[in-house]
Amino acid sequence: MNHREPATGEVPLFEAAGLAKEYDDGRVPALCGVDFRISEGEFVSIVGPSGCGKSTLLNLLGMLDRPTAGTLRYRGKPLHQTGDPASYRAREVGFIFQSFHLLPTFTIEENVMIPTFGFPATRAEKRRRAKELLEAVGLSHRLGHLPVKLSGGERQRAAIARSLVNRPGILLADEPTGNLDSKNAGHVMELLLRLQREHKTTLVLVTHDHGVAAHASRVIRMKDGRIVSDAPGTSAP
Amino acid sequence: MSFLQVIFRGLWRRPVRTGLTVLGISIGIAAVVALVGMSSGYEKSVSGQLDAIGIDVIVSNMQGGIMPKAFDESVRDRIAELPGVAEANGTLMQMLSVEDAPMMVVYGREWGSFTWDQFKLIEGRLPRDADEPAVVLGKLAAEVLRKKAGDRIQVETGDFEVVGIVDGQSVLENGAVNMPLPRFQEVSGYDGRVNFINIRVPGGSSPAAVDELCRTIEEMFPGLRAVKADQVVGTSQGFQMARAMSWSTSLLALVVGVLGVMNTMLMSVFERKHEIGVLLALGWRRSRIMALILCESAAMGFLGGIVGVVLGSVTLAALQMAPAVRGFLEPDLGWGLAASAISIAVGVGVISGLYPAWRSSRLSPGIALQG
Ligand SMILES: Nc1ncnc2c1ncn2[C@@H]1O[C@H](COP(=O)(O)OP(=O)(O)O)[C@@H](O)[C@H]1O
Ligand SMILES: [Mg+2]
Repeated sequence: MNHREPATGEVPLFEAAGLAKEYDDGRVPALCGVDFRISEGEFVSIVGPSGCGKSTLLNLLGMLDRPTAGTLRYRGKPLHQTGDPASYRAREVGFIFQSFHLLPTFTIEENVMIPTFGFPATRAEKRRRAKELLEAVGLSHRLGHLPVKLSGGERQRAAIARSLVNRPGILLADEPTGNLDSKNAGHVMELLLRLQREHKTTLVLVTHDHGVAAHASRVIRMKDGRIVSDAPGTSAP
Repeated sequence: MSFLQVIFRGLWRRPVRTGLTVLGISIGIAAVVALVGMSSGYEKSVSGQLDAIGIDVIVSNMQGGIMPKAFDESVRDRIAELPGVAEANGTLMQMLSVEDAPMMVVYGREWGSFTWDQFKLIEGRLPRDADEPAVVLGKLAAEVLRKKAGDRIQVETGDFEVVGIVDGQSVLENGAVNMPLPRFQEVSGYDGRVNFINIRVPGGSSPAAVDELCRTIEEMFPGLRAVKADQVVGTSQGFQMARAMSWSTSLLALVVGVLGVMNTMLMSVFERKHEIGVLLALGWRRSRIMALILCESAAMGFLGGIVGVVLGSVTLAALQMAPAVRGFLEPDLGWGLAASAISIAVGVGVISGLYPAWRSSRLSPGIALQG
C-alpha cells in the first residue's frame, strides 16, 4: 500500500508492524494493528473521523504512551523497548497540540525555554534560541507576556516555536489548527510548513482538514483504528 | 529561566493557598521557637545563677518535679563535716504569689553564707543579721512589685521591710525575693527545713573527687541527689520534663503543619496534572518533576520557617515582658535555635512533599494531555 518502497539499505525513520493500542484492559481498541513506514524529511498527514485512533498513533510515535502489541522501529531500533522516553521526547521530537498546552504561569519566552531544561547549553544560548524562534513565528514583541494575553493563533505560534527549540528531527502535530478560526488556521499552517522546510524536519500532522492534508507528501487515512489508505498528497514528488 | 523560577511560579500560582500553608507551618515553627526557647532559656537562667553564686555541688530531693521537697536542715551540718567540702549552706526556695505578683521565687538564705555574696547593692543595704525581718529584692522583682528600699512587703504571713535592691547577676536572682533563712522558714511553715544544700569544694579539687563526694552524700542520705552544678540542667527530672513537653507540643504543631503542606501539594499536583503531562511530553524526566514538587514543598517549609522564627521571637519577646514570666527566665533565642527551627521547617516541607511527589511521578503524559 505504501506509495514508495524504500531503496534497499535505506532505514526508514519509523517502521510500524502490527502496532496496536487498547485502552481499559482491551475494552477500547484504539489502534488495531497498523503497518506503515515514514522516511526522514517526509510530510505525512493523517486524516480520519474523530475517535479513529489518530491521536493514539501520534502518542505512540512521540513515546507519550506504550503500544499494547506490535513494534514501532525508530531508525531501525524498537523504540518502546530500547528508547529512553524522556530523552527521546526532549531531543528527537517536537510536539504541537490542538489546545496549545502552553503553561499558564510562564511567559511566552519561558514556555519556549521549558524543553531546554537539562540541555547542555548556557542559559544565554537557550534564551537566544528562544528569541530567534519567537521572532521567526512573529512574536518577538510578546516575549514577556503570559499565554492568557495572547490570541489562539498567537498561542499556537508560540507552541510551534517551543516544539523547535531543541532542534528535533521530527514534528508531531495533533490537529494544530483545530481550535483556530480559518484565517488564523491558514496563517499557522503556512508557518508550520515553512519552518518544516527550513529546519528540514519530518512532519506528521493529524488533521480534519482535507485541504491542509492535501499539502502533504503523503496522506494516511484511518478508520476505526485501521489504516484504510496511504497515498501521495498533492505536494508529493 | 532557572529551576528556582519554575519553583516560584508553581507557588505563586495560588498565592493565597501558598500563603495560608506557609502560615500553617510557621505557627508550628513559632511553637517550637517559643517553647524550646523558653525551656532552654530557663535552663540557661539556672546554670547562669549557679555560676554567679559559685556553687559546685547542689543537694536536693528532686523527686517532687520542678520544686524539690524540703528536708531537715541538720543535713547541712553533716555534709559540712565531710572531707572535700569547703563550705555548705542551706536554702529554702518556694514559688509564691507575693502581693500583686502571681508567681515569685522567694529564697530563705543562711545569713553569712556565700549565697549572699553575689548580690551587688543598687539601693539600701543587706539584712543586718540572721533574724532581721528584712527582705532584699532582685532588681526585676523590685520592678514587678513596684518597691523601693524602705517600703513594706507582705510575704505569706509575714510583714517585712525591703532593706535593699540588688543586682543578682542572673535572671533568676534578679527576679527573686530574698530574706534570712529562719525568717522565711517561719512565715512559710517550713520550720527547720530547707530544700537545697549548696556546696563549695576547696579550690583545686579534681572532678573525680567531686564525683566521689556526690556519691558519698547520696549514700548517706537516701532520697537526696547530689549533682555537680554543671550537670544540674542535664540531669534534673524537672528540666527533662520541661524539655520533653516543649518538644512534644512542638511536634504536634509540626504534624499539623505536615498535613497542611501535604494537602496543599496534593491539591497542587492534582490541579496541575495536565501541566505535568505537558512537561513530560516536552521531555522533562519524572525525576525532575518529583524534584520540582519536593522543592516547592521544601520552599514552603523554608518560608514557613522564616516566618515562624519571627513569630516565635515576637512571642518570646512578649512573654519576656509578661509579669508572670519576668524574672524566671530569659528566653533563649540564639542563632542555633533559629537555624534548627528553619531546618526543621525545611524538613517538614520535604517530608510533606514526598507523597505528592510520588503521586506526580505516576502521571503519564498521554493521559494528562487529553482534553
Ligand atoms: N486514555 C484513554 N482511555 C480510554 N480510551 C481512550 C483513551 N484515549 C483514547 N481512547 C479511545 O480510543 C479511541 C481513539 O482515540 P483517539 O486516538 O484520541 O482518536 P482521534 O484522535 O482519532 O479522535 C477513541 O475511541 C477514544 O475514546
Ligand atoms: Mg485526537
